[in-house]
Amino acid sequence: MNHNIEDRIKYVISTVFGIPAGEINYESSPRTIVSWDSLKHMNLVIALEEEFRFKFTDEEILSMKDYTSIKQTVIDSVF
Amino acid sequence: MNYIDEKYLYIISENRRLSKQLVNNEINIVILSNIIVHQIKEILEYPLRTEGINAKVEFGDYDNIVQDSQKYIGSSLVIIFWELCNIIDGLQYKIELLSENGFETIIEKLKLEIDLVLKNLQKTSLVLINKFTSLHFLNSNIRERNLHILGDQLNKHLKKAINANVRLVDLEKVLSIVGVEKSIDFRTFYSSKALYTVDFFKAYAEYIKPFIMSVNGKAKKILIFDCDNTLWNGILGEDGFDKIEMSSRTKAGAVFYEIQALAVDLQKQGILIGLNSKNNPDDVDEVIRFHPDMQLKDEYITINKSNWSDKVSNLREIADELNIGLDSFVVIDDSPFEVNLIKKELPEVTVLQVPVELYKYPKMFRENMGLFYNHSITAEDRKKIGMYKQQEKREGVKKKFTDIEDYLESLELKMTIHENNNSIIHRISQLTQKTNQFNLTTKRYTEGDIKNFIENKNFVIVAFSISDKFGDSGVTGLCIVNLYNKIQSAEIDSFLMSCRIIGRNIEYAFVDYLMNILNRYKINTITANYIRTKKNEQVKEFYDRCSFSLTKSTNSVRNYTLDRSNYKPKRFNYIEVINESQY
Repeated sequence: MNHNIEDRIKYVISTVFGIPAGEINYESSPRTIVSWDSLKHMNLVIALEEEFRFKFTDEEILSMKDYTSIKQTVIDSVF
Repeated sequence: MNYIDEKYLYIISENRRLSKQLVNNEINIVILSNIIVHQIKEILEYPLRTEGINAKVEFGDYDNIVQDSQKYIGSSLVIIFWELCNIIDGLQYKIELLSENGFETIIEKLKLEIDLVLKNLQKTSLVLINKFTSLHFLNSNIRERNLHILGDQLNKHLKKAINANVRLVDLEKVLSIVGVEKSIDFRTFYSSKALYTVDFFKAYAEYIKPFIMSVNGKAKKILIFDCDNTLWNGILGEDGFDKIEMSSRTKAGAVFYEIQALAVDLQKQGILIGLNSKNNPDDVDEVIRFHPDMQLKDEYITINKSNWSDKVSNLREIADELNIGLDSFVVIDDSPFEVNLIKKELPEVTVLQVPVELYKYPKMFRENMGLFYNHSITAEDRKKIGMYKQQEKREGVKKKFTDIEDYLESLELKMTIHENNNSIIHRISQLTQKTNQFNLTTKRYTEGDIKNFIENKNFVIVAFSISDKFGDSGVTGLCIVNLYNKIQSAEIDSFLMSCRIIGRNIEYAFVDYLMNILNRYKINTITANYIRTKKNEQVKEFYDRCSFSLTKSTNSVRNYTLDRSNYKPKRFNYIEVINESQY
């Protein structure tokens, strides 16, 4: 189950930032992905909300700073 | 076909794919806004790229519409999101508490800014300006509030002031298509001034698409009707002349009566109307000439292919005979078989099918009118424009600004200098952390760092705040100078300014004053650096403009020096400078 979610999150991130899904790992963050700026971050938020059919709270949007925290937030919100 | 239903992620990836296919004839679309609207980029580019228009959306600086209107004069299309609620931060509640005077001041300010923007953009081929709306905040209010009145007055002014290259976009229509609730995301509005949702941007892009199609020569020119169950109810060959219906007086005919009226209206706007139907030519001719309810008379029909040939061949013939590309065709037919055949054989033709539920037919027809939208001015438009101009004359000649300098002069700009001021350490640190664009060295400092600078006699931090007759924008820029034990030379460690105040020559007035301060410290030689980042390209030559000499330049760093005696002050007299420490 979790594995599947990770794949879906990676797919969303890779599409939003235009990089191969294989390059995304636990370290991925605005520091490792050049196109991940604050505006693209909003694109990511919207795409994740569409993919998982829910809305983040504004605190969650601010707390999602890298792949690991995104994964945790999505899992917490969806399940 | 309808991309409104597509997921945002799909739009992003498809748009990326199309961007690699389209390489030529890039159409630059510049969006100027006083709110964050960056999510519109892919949503607007994608539907245009699917039509072969290589659109590329870029954005002006945040909340810099007036100044940026000068910067993008040469663009083919400028879109302006001038959001009422963010004209002044928190206007949606502030305006209700304003005095009459304060209210008038805001209206006058905005009118002048609108005039200036329109003047700057009069050479741009197409400018789309959203009409002001207060619906986001007041859609459930019974009382008329100040915000609403302000929006109305500004819209009136816009309507009078626009030139022929400008079209107003009725935001309230777009909001009504999506619904206000689904259009707005207050979650991102309060945190980052992003007001609109992806759903809104999709509807907005769809709404303005006809403008862009038209100026790129992609407007449709001809509408081809099938006849049976498309122009009238019934089948002529089977039901006969007396049984087909297209009268406003009968249930079955009313819809077709309306469709014919809409078609006549379209023809009067210059769109060609043709027929392509499987019928005996003489039978159709008889209906056109003699049926009492037929509104689409012979004089409105440019070409008539009523015969037993296949419809695809007929369409090819029409294109040949009239010398119009098939991509300018819109076809309406009731038969799914014909619709699919044409779509398959002639993919460049736009094909509409008459809805099974006939009452939906006029709505479908109206929704597709945008396909024919023609941007060029009609006689009717000219008349309207003439009317507005006269109205303007009657109201008397108001003061108009002829250029940006006059405008700046009218602002009553005031710069207050804060030298080594302990009470603004937090703000100074914040500015070094947050400023990206107008930032020469992009060095980030904590509050502790700033405190150390202020306590260290070898450094001086000069900050400034800006106010004008409309308000105070607070501490918005600063400079940190390393005085090197004051042995006559100094180095500018940091120089930055918030992008909210770019375009008012404030930076030059500040450098003028900085030279006075350095004189007081007996500094004769000043060195300075530009350190390149991804975002500060716009200040690459700032020091060149301030009389500095370039001593060394690499891809990432530019080093400068200035002998203070060589400094040429800019002396922008309309900016009054006050040093708070000199009382």
